[in-house]
Amino acid sequence: MQHLTNRAKPVDRKPMTALEKLYLWNIAKGMWITLKHIFKRKATINFPEQRREFSPVFRGLQVLNRDAEGRENCTACGLCAVACPAEAITMEAAERQPGEEHLYREEKYAAKYEINMLRCIFCGLCEEACPKDAVYLSETFAPSNYQRKGFIYGKEDLLIPHPKLEPEAYQQALGTRAKRQEKASSN
Amino acid sequence: MPKIFIDNTSYEVKAGKNVLEACLTLGFDLPYFCWHPAMGSVGACRQCAVKVYKDENDTSGKIIMSCMEGVRDGMHLSIDDKAAKAFREQVIEWLMTNHPHDCPVCDEGGSCHLQDMTVMTGHDYRRYDYKKRTYVNQYLGPFIHHEMNRCIQCYRCVRFYKDYAGGKDLNVFAAHNHVYFGREKDGTLESPFSGNLAEVCPTGVFTDKTLRQHYTRKWDLTSAPSVCQHCSVGCNTIAGERYGGLRNIVNRYNAEVNGYFLCDRGRFGYEFVNSENRITKPQVMHQAVDENALMHHLETVLTNHSLIGIGSPRASMESNFALLDLVGKENFFCGVYNEEMMLERRITDILDSGKIPVASLKQIEDADAVVILGEDIWNTAPMMALAVRQSVMKTGGREATEKTPMPEWHELAVKELQQNTKGFMVNVTVTETSLDEIASLNINAAPDDIARLGFAIANHIHPSLELKNFEEAVLAKAKTIADELLKCSNPVIITGTSCYNDPVLRAAFDIAAALKAAGKAPAIAFVVPECNSMGLAMMRGHAFDTAVRRVNREPNVTAVILEQDLYRNLPAGIVDEFLSKCRNIIVLDSLNNATTEKAHVLIPASTFAEGDGTLISYEGRAQRYYQVYVPDNKYIRESWKWLSRMKMIISGKANGHDPHHDSVISSLETALRQFAGISAAAPSSGFSIHGEQIPREPHRYSGRTAMLANRNVSEPKPVADGDSPLSFTMEGYQGTPPSSAIPFFWKPGWNSPQAVNKYQQEIGGDLIGGNPGVRLFVKSSGNMPEFFKDYPEHFRERQNKWLLLPQSHVFGSDELSVYSAGIAGRSPEPYMGLSPVDAKMLDVTEGSQVTIKSEKEEYSFPVKIVESLRNGIVLVSKGLPGTQGMSWGNWVELAK
Ligand code: SF4
Ligand code: SF4
Ligand code: SF4
Ligand code: SF4
Ligand code: FES
Repeated sequence: MQHLTNRAKPVDRKPMTALEKLYLWNIAKGMWITLKHIFKRKATINFPEQRREFSPVFRGLQVLNRDAEGRENCTACGLCAVACPAEAITMEAAERQPGEEHLYREEKYAAKYEINMLRCIFCGLCEEACPKDAVYLSETFAPSNYQRKGFIYGKEDLLIPHPKLEPEAYQQALGTRAKRQEKASSN
Repeated sequence: MPKIFIDNTSYEVKAGKNVLEACLTLGFDLPYFCWHPAMGSVGACRQCAVKVYKDENDTSGKIIMSCMEGVRDGMHLSIDDKAAKAFREQVIEWLMTNHPHDCPVCDEGGSCHLQDMTVMTGHDYRRYDYKKRTYVNQYLGPFIHHEMNRCIQCYRCVRFYKDYAGGKDLNVFAAHNHVYFGREKDGTLESPFSGNLAEVCPTGVFTDKTLRQHYTRKWDLTSAPSVCQHCSVGCNTIAGERYGGLRNIVNRYNAEVNGYFLCDRGRFGYEFVNSENRITKPQVMHQAVDENALMHHLETVLTNHSLIGIGSPRASMESNFALLDLVGKENFFCGVYNEEMMLERRITDILDSGKIPVASLKQIEDADAVVILGEDIWNTAPMMALAVRQSVMKTGGREATEKTPMPEWHELAVKELQQNTKGFMVNVTVTETSLDEIASLNINAAPDDIARLGFAIANHIHPSLELKNFEEAVLAKAKTIADELLKCSNPVIITGTSCYNDPVLRAAFDIAAALKAAGKAPAIAFVVPECNSMGLAMMRGHAFDTAVRRVNREPNVTAVILEQDLYRNLPAGIVDEFLSKCRNIIVLDSLNNATTEKAHVLIPASTFAEGDGTLISYEGRAQRYYQVYVPDNKYIRESWKWLSRMKMIISGKANGHDPHHDSVISSLETALRQFAGISAAAPSSGFSIHGEQIPREPHRYSGRTAMLANRNVSEPKPVADGDSPLSFTMEGYQGTPPSSAIPFFWKPGWNSPQAVNKYQQEIGGDLIGGNPGVRLFVKSSGNMPEFFKDYPEHFRERQNKWLLLPQSHVFGSDELSVYSAGIAGRSPEPYMGLSPVDAKMLDVTEGSQVTIKSEKEEYSFPVKIVESLRNGIVLVSKGLPGTQGMSWGNWVELAK
């Protein structure tokens, strides 16, 4: 048979001797490795009490952004959805009515905006495509859920808290992004 | 054929075209804005620059506008030339200095010619960062949204609206770098062709306002080729869906029918599909039931009763045939009363004889003279009126350029030479119409007198009868018209059923016959009331009156009524009589109406968007429309599927499966020979290209794994379409599909509707693979046609009686489109038109209520005094919401 790789090694199929069949040596070897690890640094952390620091380019759960006045940035242009390689975003546009100017920044907005988190591969292309700084990937994971339908995130799950009405929650949701943005703009 | 050299490669091109057209036909991507294949060149945008060289030795060349230069044999030019490219890039940079760059918010985005051209020229970086010029937008009515900041001053909008379509209320204002395209002040755009602005404007200045209410990008629409359901012209459309709702209708190019345009009734009338008034569940005795209960009940009412079927002029051929198949030929009636039936029969007889060919819209446009007899086509077949306008304008242009040769595409130059020269068009109608202003001669007369004039014209062209009792004035007019017609070579005669007068139809035929005898190549067009009136007439069912007699005779009748509101098309008395005599009434329809209220069994039928079907237009052109989407509601099915189920119940062969479209069409072909060839209107469901189906969704369709996830996370298998070669997905053949199955126009780099360039054999010409639809009147007889000769007596007023005639309205007279809010808003209040003398005699003034009394009914309407109306005629708005069917063409009494 022709090998698919030039690194194939033939398997040694010699029958084992009686001593080998007792596995004593191998058991000892294994125990030694285990023992050694007791004295090494732990690889796990006590999540959720303890959290790892994310890399600045970490891409977690999406957030639908608001501007400083708390108006939704998204204009339902559909560019994130068309950029999404997993086809995981869908939305329905609606026209902003007179009197709704404090709710939506642009003349159209997303009446419905849904991401299927089971499909999302957290590639960040939606964030990159967005011309309105309306969607970005935050530093949180999508939490686990008992049901698959719990992973279909609608606007209520994605929208960032209102900066004026819930300033604390807003700051928290913003995470290090605000700082990073500041830094980027000062550079 | 001239040979031209583009970047040193030689090509054969068609003479008489401009360089831009030639390049686009050859498949080159050359940007343009102001040139439009239907409207010609004006050289306003400077975007289409190429370099031409004196000869093959010239290396410097000069930049020209390719749309303003005709092709010459031996011409050397370069598209790729550096200077030409830089020029094009710079022009677009200029055009973009004031452009708001608001693509994310703009409804045009994703199907925008400006986006496409910007990408094509390679302009990608904005250097101008000063304040942009801004405008105040206008309210332009329910159909069109205005966002003037996006304008690039190509002038296409006004050229279409004013010059092409004859609109008055859109114009260009101001000067320099702040020209403004809009109305004098806010208000509804009046032209019934205003919707085309959304497609003609290469930017997002004019966009579809109805789409805006449920906005979806072009790339997110599931679309299918469709056919307009709102009049007998049969314009080709593309219908788009998302989330189970119909979102918009756009033009589907068909060189022989609607070309690049649609009327507003067709474009904006689609919302009836999403209407609250839809029938959503089967009902038995007004109680919603499930399918089992329905089938069970149907079994009892279908068997042991004698069945009759009432075919519908607005249902597909498939559904009408399935009904005929269910009830049997002798039990198949049409929802049309005898007088109208006879008119339609006359029309099909004439067309079937093949003595005079029927005129397509394209032929009307190309005609060098038009005679309209008794039909207000502006209101009954709007796109035909637009075609007539083109005939008048083009003929005028040809006459004007006879002495000073000027290619047809050179729009401004031709207009300059032409001034007010117009082609010959006679508009003989009952009352004034919107086409009057371009007619060489307007005549308003009673139907019989219209017919007499027609016969007199025919007689002047080719003396065939002895004219007795003709007034001198009529003869003189007839002579003028006849003399003009004799100067032409391919005149078109247009008439229709609106006069409810058979002699008018015969007179139209006689004019055409006389012209043929005189060695001309005439064609004829008969406008019929509904989108499939022609198909129903060709089926040759009995008239409704016969059905009424039948139920009066037979006690145990189950009537199956197909997709129509009988109360709308027929006088209420006769419908009441009919329905009260039926033992069981089964109605299939999509919207609730007066007839469905009387149904004992009501079955939800699909609209054109949820089902497949074939319609036969006024020219006998069978055209297929395809299902756009599968509705969530499983009860919504094509009538032909329900009817086939019923047939299975009767024959005891019910197996729970629906028949496929192919089998219905092939049984239609075998059962009724007059429909032979109808299957060629579209590829069969087994059709595939390299084993692939044609996708209804563009390859960029988004949200596939998320759209339905809120309902069920497991993605369902895409629904299979057993009735057509189209798939409900984005996968499939990505090349050019057969012309009758193009779900959307898109080619790489061409996202806007102007991608149609790439689907045409030559720019502005036929689609690759021929234009969609097959004409069923194929016979053509070289024999000299026989004349009808029997002209009527001239119209006489009757004592205290008036001849009842319909006045149609573009917006409102069509049953389905009024369920769209915009159309309903434009539909006028119903009125009754009377001549000033009659009004005086009845002692009524404008606005007073007058009652019409016919045999059994009474209706009252406010009076409108119509100067152009003959005495003795009463004109009543037809088909408006709140009005009922009337005995058109009959004599009625009036009372204050
Ligand atoms: S992160 Fe990537 S996969 Fe997830 S929604 Fe955005 S574009 Fe789609
Ligand atoms: S999130 Fe951004 S890209 Fe997506 S629809 Fe909204 S504005 Fe457009
Ligand atoms: S409104 Fe549109 S069609 Fe009219 S000039 Fe401006 S860009 Fe051209
Ligand atoms: S209503 Fe008639 S003219 Fe208008 S788009 Fe439809 S078929 Fe064409
Ligand atoms: S397309 Fe040639 S100048 Fe506009």
